Amino acid sequence: MKTIETIGLTRREALKTGLAATAAVGGLLGAGRAAWADTLADIKSRGELVAATEMQFPPFDISDNGVYKGVDRELIDAVGKELGVKVSYLDLPWTSVLPGLEAKKFDLCIAPVTITKERLKRYAFSVPIADATAALMKRADDKSIAKPEDIAGKTVGGQKGTSQLEQLKAFAAKLPKPVEVKEYVDNNESYADLAAGRIDASVNSLPNLAYAAAQRSDAFAVVLPPFGQPTYFSWVGRLDDKSLLDAINAAIVKLDGDGTMAAIQKKWFGQTMDLPTTVPEPTI
Amino acid sequence: MRPQVIFHSFGYLTQSAGTTLALSLAGIALGFLIGAAVCAARLSRQAWLRRLGGAYVSVFRGVPLLVLLLFIYYFLAEYGLDIPALVAAVGGLALSSGAYQAEILRGAFNALPRGQAEAAVALGFPGIEIWRRVLLPQALRISIPPLINEFILLLKASSLVSVVGIAELTRVSMNIASSTYRPLEAYVGGGLFYLAINLCLAGFGAIAERRLAAGAAR
Repeated sequence: MKTIETIGLTRREALKTGLAATAAVGGLLGAGRAAWADTLADIKSRGELVAATEMQFPPFDISDNGVYKGVDRELIDAVGKELGVKVSYLDLPWTSVLPGLEAKKFDLCIAPVTITKERLKRYAFSVPIADATAALMKRADDKSIAKPEDIAGKTVGGQKGTSQLEQLKAFAAKLPKPVEVKEYVDNNESYADLAAGRIDASVNSLPNLAYAAAQRSDAFAVVLPPFGQPTYFSWVGRLDDKSLLDAINAAIVKLDGDGTMAAIQKKWFGQTMDLPTTVPEPTI
Repeated sequence: MRPQVIFHSFGYLTQSAGTTLALSLAGIALGFLIGAAVCAARLSRQAWLRRLGGAYVSVFRGVPLLVLLLFIYYFLAEYGLDIPALVAAVGGLALSSGAYQAEILRGAFNALPRGQAEAAVALGFPGIEIWRRVLLPQALRISIPPLINEFILLLKASSLVSVVGIAELTRVSMNIASSTYRPLEAYVGGGLFYLAINLCLAGFGAIAERRLAAGAAR
């Protein structure tokens, strides 16, 4: 059981493990791979785009009594319509998502991944699908935290390996009193400890926290404004699938222009957000 | 604690418990066939068969199930061998469980006093009859408690097959935990299903043991 707790739940941005594993596999087998197949042409002839994510990242990916819902679902459905193909979804633990992408078990990772310099070397990123700026969440009844700086001298939890946790550490270093940082394999465990009173705040991207706080307003409240540098979530494809990524980017930009994106954002985030229409240069 | 969360997701949990049960039973049954074959190889008079059986046990008992599943599903795909998730899941469970079941069966055969087979030979039983009427019934009886143990372990280990994208009980509990932000309720719900299934398995084991014990008393 321990194994699945640690491995199964490591997520989103705990890419280091994924990178190491895929690098090892890729390195061993690089020679044996059938390299030249155009994924976009394949998808069009099949009439189906197979997308994978971990359906445990609300409001992006939710498995509500077995039905896949969320921002990613609605956006990829709209993108599929643009491409003229049907979309099918795979629910994989985060650690399996990137190895599965490399092993060509599916065409595209629609889990939101923060764009970083390191990751750009290994994967092709789509244009941003959402804001990923780091923010904090506290217990709803905690009056001692009103702004991000109030975490000085307190304990804050976040998911190990995420860019949001890294930003928290950088932010905390500038505060007058040291912040104790607790690292979790999964954001949901950090929220559980926040509710239980073991930590004073949880760090994650603003959209995730806003949704969590809205779902459990009895327990949680978001600390505004977000403290981190502006970062973005994108989808991820294989580096050599340039034609597929180009087609998906064109579709996302079109949906951004015709108001579809804004409608999805309004529904899930309660507000709209402006997103760059090109893959931004990562700041972290 | 809000039990409503469990009631609300009851259908989803039941469905995934069915998946867990079906996968585990398939893994157990296939694993038993593999185990019987490997055990036969390990008890063989042929040295190369014994070595082959030994190597099987060493490899599949030595490799963690999680790694085995990842290997079957992702690693083989790199060689163009695209194994469907369901086949990878049942195959992984069976290959791994087969190694354990082989050793359970071997232990049971080794526990039988040598004199029994010798007495049967002296009484003029043909070879196949010695197996069928003397050795096998006793070995099975001895191996029932450890086999039930192994079945229960396998059922719980089947939570690992979510790495190939199958929505089994643990995975679904996690999904519920993350979509409701109520982890305690979700895991209590999942845990109760595991407990119910395993109590049934243990019950069947007890019945089987009683039946076979009655046979021995005759």
